[in-house]
Amino acid sequence: MSVQIFFQMLVNGLFNGSIYALVAVGLTLIYGVLRITNFAHGEFLMLGIYVAYWAYTMLNIDPYLSIPIAIILVFIVGVLIQRFLVQKILDDHPMNQIVLLVGVSTLLVGLAQIFFGADPKSIHVPYETEVFTLVGLRFSIPRTVAFVASLIIASGLFSFLQFTKTGKAIRAVSQSRAAANLMGIDVKFIYLLTFGIGAAITAVGGVLLAPNTRMIPSIGSGYSVIAFVVVVLGTMGNFIGALVGGLIIGVVETFAGFFLGSDVKIVASMLIFILILLFKPEGLFGRKIG
Amino acid sequence: MIDMAIKSSNGFIDKVMRYILNTWERTQLVICFVLVVLIAMSPLVIRSPYYIGIIILATLYAYIGITWNIVAGFTGQLLIAHIIFIAFGAYTTIVLQNKFGISPWIGLLASGVVAALLGVIVAFITLRYGLKMDYFGLFTIALMTALRSLFLKWDFVGGGIGMWVSLANTSFANMIFQHKEPYLYIALFLVVLGLFIQYRIYNSKMGRYFVAIREDEDAASALGVNTALYKTIAVVISATMAGIGGGFYVMYVTFIDPNQLFNLGLNVEMVMAAPIIGGLGSIAGPLLGALLNKPLAELIRGFLTVGTSGTSLIVYGTFLIVTILFLPRGIAGLLQNQYNKLRIRVYGEEKG
Amino acid sequence: MALLEVHGITKRFGGLVAVNSLDVSVDTGHISALIGPNGAGKTTAFNVIAGFYQPTEGKVIFDGMDITNMRPDQVCKLGLTRTFQVVRPFRGITVLDNVMIGAYNRTNNDKIAREKAYEVLKFMKMEKMANQTASGLPIALRKRLEIARALATEPKVILLDEAMAGLRPTETDEIIEVVRDISKQGIGILLVEHVMKVVMSLAENVLVIHHGVKIAEGTPDEIVRNELVIDAYLGEVVTDAAN
Repeated sequence: MSVQIFFQMLVNGLFNGSIYALVAVGLTLIYGVLRITNFAHGEFLMLGIYVAYWAYTMLNIDPYLSIPIAIILVFIVGVLIQRFLVQKILDDHPMNQIVLLVGVSTLLVGLAQIFFGADPKSIHVPYETEVFTLVGLRFSIPRTVAFVASLIIASGLFSFLQFTKTGKAIRAVSQSRAAANLMGIDVKFIYLLTFGIGAAITAVGGVLLAPNTRMIPSIGSGYSVIAFVVVVLGTMGNFIGALVGGLIIGVVETFAGFFLGSDVKIVASMLIFILILLFKPEGLFGRKIG
Repeated sequence: MIDMAIKSSNGFIDKVMRYILNTWERTQLVICFVLVVLIAMSPLVIRSPYYIGIIILATLYAYIGITWNIVAGFTGQLLIAHIIFIAFGAYTTIVLQNKFGISPWIGLLASGVVAALLGVIVAFITLRYGLKMDYFGLFTIALMTALRSLFLKWDFVGGGIGMWVSLANTSFANMIFQHKEPYLYIALFLVVLGLFIQYRIYNSKMGRYFVAIREDEDAASALGVNTALYKTIAVVISATMAGIGGGFYVMYVTFIDPNQLFNLGLNVEMVMAAPIIGGLGSIAGPLLGALLNKPLAELIRGFLTVGTSGTSLIVYGTFLIVTILFLPRGIAGLLQNQYNKLRIRVYGEEKG
Repeated sequence: MALLEVHGITKRFGGLVAVNSLDVSVDTGHISALIGPNGAGKTTAFNVIAGFYQPTEGKVIFDGMDITNMRPDQVCKLGLTRTFQVVRPFRGITVLDNVMIGAYNRTNNDKIAREKAYEVLKFMKMEKMANQTASGLPIALRKRLEIARALATEPKVILLDEAMAGLRPTETDEIIEVVRDISKQGIGILLVEHVMKVVMSLAENVLVIHHGVKIAEGTPDEIVRNELVIDAYLGEVVTDAAN
């Protein structure tokens, strides 16, 4: 493999990874604050993709411009799911939580199949094959836009969490529900907000993916699994970890795709996942207890 | 009406009721027995192969549900991607038949063994590395995903193309039948076997240890339960039974491929839905859930002219959500409440 | 040599030393008590003895055998059973089933286990609730169930972790009687307790630990007058009991 190909793949990997990072940030946020593993997470990405599709085919809006629409719509969906479903089982046995979320996931996929059909869809933007070259590497326009957008949105969310009052409240709840309660924080509201944000940011990932991808209703499940890998790798609940982990997995996958073929490149991520679960379950940024 | 039946001067009915209602376990067995008989007699009234097909699948799902019930219901382990055992069982049977000409009847046993080995591996890894709760669930999903990729590339088992049963060689020895009815009776046999095993486990030291582990592992350990051993036993029994079910599955559906089989959607439909809706951890749950689930899903799908598999997903998803929120102990839980009331009337006292 | 002998166990969690060089011994038919202020390390000591934690240093010898690195279920099989401070009934099943799980420690036979369980329930005066689901029991009965389950394992020594916590005075008196009856059967008992009345009326030997270290050992009367102990407890609770 030549140096140029190596760097080209590195760049591609980072760009792909930025989307994984967004999805993982959403998942890790939900886990960090609500302490549940969102088994329906990939479906928020799926919703984002289909919002982009609908906006493009029905309203003739460029997919990237439909990001705000996706954010608003999926935020609302997330809040509704949290308010009426998830909130009820927050203190239940994990089996119940998993089953409920699997049920939500199944339902969402079914609804997508009804509204958009099970056959693959795609959207073709006029600039989708355009590239620009820099230092001898080729950068595809859609992917570059996706990468930049991911960075902007991730930084935006990070700033929100670090510097705003609400953001700090969210971080407080993720550290201790009881303490946050005592400090007068409306924990239920924070739960709603966090779930909504987590869903919305994942949907953004979906929108960014749209110009490149073959859209089917079950597309979410593959990204769900990758999101789990990233979140565990980057330590559950850790924002930066999710970003770093996403980029790592993106790169790993791209190289695995080169050596193993694209239909089985997922094996590499699964291998990493299994190794992490076995040998370093606290993730890259975690501390071992006891 | 039941009151009148009980109070009637006919002491026989009272004796029968007392027998049936003695314990909730026994009542469930009786319910299951009645359902099994009804299923067995269904070909007499139902002629359409389409409807028989639904009953066959419902019956198979009941059996698979029983296998999952043992590990997820009794011991409470979050073994989500149970489908891997079914998949291994399916591939074992079809490979043995297609490549080695071995009868599926033997193949089913081999499927059980292969799935059992996989179960041992899964249990060992989980216990050795202390994978608890969500992490265990995620591990099984990761394993399923990895296995799917492996099977997609493995030419010996057909790779991405899959494998199919040649429908030409109908014979009993080949487990290939021209009509659907024989498949129904095989599935029914599996259900009866499964119910028997389930009940025997439930009422034994092993079964009680399983439940103790589910309720509180540390407390169980403090009382002398070797939790690692019993968790492994549960996984292995469950896997073995599921493997056998997988062997039958492939002979019935006649075609499998990795994408269709190592699939979370199939896992939800075939493994999880019935026991949860019926009542996870109960004896009658899987059968009750499967008989309600599958036919209802098909019925609803029949009513709607648009959207095919989309509707069944919506049905399953909604069922799962509704069950968790409103009926956490499933249909069996509802029936148990009725049972308790009935028992007071017949026996004049409470019973757990 | 006593039935249960704990030699110099130390348990460190990172930088925190929860238990420091503790020696305890319990013999058949005797009742010893482990007392100390909150966070003194009492429950940690129990966890080490019963096999839930491995000690950083030290040994636990039971019936002549080194059980230091054994699992809790192995320890139970040998005859050492513990209860939990916050009771942990198997909530979804009946009282009888709860106790049967303990009884299975000594038998594989369902009938024998059931009979043994009934016997224990009768001893604990709980046979009327045999078929009630454990989750429906009030706290006092759940504490009794905790003890009943442990008894069903046929222990030689039983570790009772704050068996009286949260009980009313009459309920406490009842449990004190139960513990005395257990002792009369020849079973060795090690109590962790906060309620001084219990310690005074039951224990033959009392160990006081503070910050994981044993600061005093002796009969209840000696302990109550011990200055170090009084300091550790801020005086009030101990003087109350002494009067």
